[in-house]
Amino acid sequence: MKVKIIVAAAVIVAALIFGAVSFVETNVEYTDFQHAVDTGKKVQVKGEWVKSRDAAFDRSQNQFVFYMTDDNNQELKVVLDGAKPNNFELAKAIVVKGRYQHGYFHATDVLTKCPSKYEADAETVKKTL
Amino acid sequence: MLGSFLVRFAFVGVLTSGTAYYCAQRNNSSTLLNLGRYAYSVTVASVMSFCTLLLYYILTHQFQYTYVWSYSSTDLPTPLLISTFYAGQEGSFSLWTLYTTIIGVILLQYTSRKKYEAEVMLFWSMILGFLLLMLIVKNPFELIWDSFPKDLLHTGALPAGLTNFVWLDQAKGMWAQYPVEGRGLNPLLQNYWMVIHPQILFLGFSSMAVPYAFALAGLLHRDYQTWVKIAKPWTVFGAAVLGTGIILGGYWAYETLGWGGYWGWDPVENSSLIPWLVCVSSIHTMMAQRRSGTFVRTNFVLSILCFIMVLYSTFLTRSGVLGDTSVHSFVDPGMWAYWLLLGVIIIFGVLGVGLLLLRFKEMPKIRAEHSIYSREFALFLGAFTICLAAVFVTIGTSSPIITGIIKGKAAAVETSFYVRTTLPLGIVIALLAGIGQLLWWKTSNARQLFASLAYPLLSAVLFAIGLVIFGMKDIPILIFSCSSAFALFVNLLVGYRIFKGNPKYAGGAIAHIGLALLFLGFVSSARYDDTQTVSLEEGKPVSVLGDYTLTYLGNRPLDSERYGFTVEVQHAERTFTVMPVMRYSSFTNGMMRHPDILNMYTKDFYISPLSVESPDDQQGETLSFLKGETKDVQGIKVQFVDFDFSNVEKGKMVTGSGFTIGVILSVTKDGKSETIKPLMKNVGGSISYIPASMPDDSILFTIVKLQPNREDPSKSMVELGVRDPHAMSNKPKAETLVVEASIKPFINLVWMGTITLVVGFVITIIRRVQEARSKD
Repeated sequence: MKVKIIVAAAVIVAALIFGAVSFVETNVEYTDFQHAVDTGKKVQVKGEWVKSRDAAFDRSQNQFVFYMTDDNNQELKVVLDGAKPNNFELAKAIVVKGRYQHGYFHATDVLTKCPSKYEADAETVKKTL
Repeated sequence: MLGSFLVRFAFVGVLTSGTAYYCAQRNNSSTLLNLGRYAYSVTVASVMSFCTLLLYYILTHQFQYTYVWSYSSTDLPTPLLISTFYAGQEGSFSLWTLYTTIIGVILLQYTSRKKYEAEVMLFWSMILGFLLLMLIVKNPFELIWDSFPKDLLHTGALPAGLTNFVWLDQAKGMWAQYPVEGRGLNPLLQNYWMVIHPQILFLGFSSMAVPYAFALAGLLHRDYQTWVKIAKPWTVFGAAVLGTGIILGGYWAYETLGWGGYWGWDPVENSSLIPWLVCVSSIHTMMAQRRSGTFVRTNFVLSILCFIMVLYSTFLTRSGVLGDTSVHSFVDPGMWAYWLLLGVIIIFGVLGVGLLLLRFKEMPKIRAEHSIYSREFALFLGAFTICLAAVFVTIGTSSPIITGIIKGKAAAVETSFYVRTTLPLGIVIALLAGIGQLLWWKTSNARQLFASLAYPLLSAVLFAIGLVIFGMKDIPILIFSCSSAFALFVNLLVGYRIFKGNPKYAGGAIAHIGLALLFLGFVSSARYDDTQTVSLEEGKPVSVLGDYTLTYLGNRPLDSERYGFTVEVQHAERTFTVMPVMRYSSFTNGMMRHPDILNMYTKDFYISPLSVESPDDQQGETLSFLKGETKDVQGIKVQFVDFDFSNVEKGKMVTGSGFTIGVILSVTKDGKSETIKPLMKNVGGSISYIPASMPDDSILFTIVKLQPNREDPSKSMVELGVRDPHAMSNKPKAETLVVEASIKPFINLVWMGTITLVVGFVITIIRRVQEARSKD
């Protein structure tokens, strides 16, 4: 009986350690551009697309290039592997995931945070009167 | 008014029925039992009425209700109009409430025959009470002028000719205006999946509460055995329904939304997966308890945990706590809803765990008489492994909360976390799904076991060798595939034998065949998919992914918003035509992309449109100017004076409506100065450039790039294209379609596996219902 308990405990502890290590390793820190530039680590940054600047798809590299300001208003060029993300234009905020290198933020993933349907906006009400 | 009243009335009804049932089970009084039943009927009637009323308001476009206005419009076809019932939070809680109410009616009939009515319905009333409380906080019947009082409430004289108004207080001259059109349904949700998927999902959520109610009733009743028998068919039903809902969502994402895959480990997806895993694991331990009376405590824990995980998942996805870390937008539903969602987890958690601890000591300790070579032990290990998977998925999904507490900054895990942690568990699950079927209850003869293992094991090893020959090199994936194949062979063998005997008993084997197919499908379609982004110039064949040749043949409008892009696919000397669709939605002011899929037996060819690039304009030479800088262009002095970006336009940019930026150029030719202004227009994110030409039409200036510098405006730059409009431009280039093409090998295994799994569940439900009906 004791052996059983020891084996069971060992399995659980091993599973938890494995889970914790994986958790730490795959966790992508949420931060700002300054930190991304300083560390060069893989991070996530939330911000806004700079609409006044050019955003274009580079056909030869299959990359989408745009400019973004983070919450501290720091602006940085972002190069995304892939095409312009869905709902990019209407995104209230965007979250880029990747790392800073060669003078720009190389993003592997972009999340677009859409203005929510729930936030019924008084402007829209006026339009539908 | 009537709607809000009915919600509150239903809440009072369910409080009454709960109280009556509580007293009934304490005093064993049939009068009180009847009162509880009566109060529950009143609740049912009220819930049905307010749901019908909400539907009626939607169908008749009563836009004076904020909810109706927020999600529907007059131009929606009826099925979609009906589906707007659950397009928002208030409505989806209403749907959940409706299903919980209906299940309660069946549960009432069922438990009254089992002499379990008072206990089960007591807890059921509590659960329903929480849902109704949620609807009081997030009221689907809120009036629009209460939501937007500033814009819609007026005092004083009515403007002439106004028809869409109501008097609130005619004596004081108070009146409110209401919209005549709704905001409409997000086009992303406008397809038949929206009609069916949420329905099934919420039915699943509602049924997940049944094992909880039974478990607590069992504890209250000091019944530690028979409750499992009557709860079992419900548990399997919950797993079948929620499982179907989950995979339908996956198919929706794959087929229509163009996410590229059927599963993205997104919090919304995970939040239905976690309770499902717990539920499935409890099916296994319930089965063991039915057989040998063991796992008494485990079954209480799992049945309670299953519902707590439903609540926790709801909290994660509905409270706004995940904030910015997911694709789905989670909006803060308000402080009340947040604390209610959190409080409910605590209440039902404390109730369940407290009652369990209270009874823990007196529960019969049944000595486990089974050996390691017993089916009981395999079932326990399987349930444990599935639970561990649920734990990992929960930890991953809760990452923003965990990191928020530890580091003060919320961060999500990458999807690789889920793959890494669940892969070893998947291997164990697959092996157990095979071995478990060959084991006997109590104990098995080790030699017999190994003898029966021989053929499936041999086949699995041969299968693995085949995979290596075909180039599979990844060792963990190879082990996973091999063990899944093993599970498949064992269950085919066992299933065939059982099916020959009595098909009713084949549910388990069939479900495990489904699981094995699903696992193999995961490996082939997710691990071995091949993706390539290509630019297709119109009419020019491009070879992709080895032996596919794509030719873009042009686009055509399908309706006012949607464009279809015809692409010819040549593969293995056959020609197919696919048409991915892009839609510019005026509702979201954005582009939506719908993939097209070429279904073949052994693979899907998946083609998702990314963007359309117009033929390049001949911009000629490109020159960049610092602010104030003057350059000589073909004998003309050109100075970049400033941007023309008025506060009005800035305001438009901030609010997201279309705006225009101009570049003020001072041009001097032959001593004569003029000001010209090329423009950049941004309408809903689609940018167009309007060139400006010299007064004598000799040179055309086009904006290529704007680089304003906020800190130091004098460092602002602009790039301009400069060309002679009369020079013959080169032959215009054709339009280019950028697509992401991918091959998903054997993705049909995923769908086949799912269907098989659900069939297995259904057969099991039928058998367990018959078993629960029988007397023992």
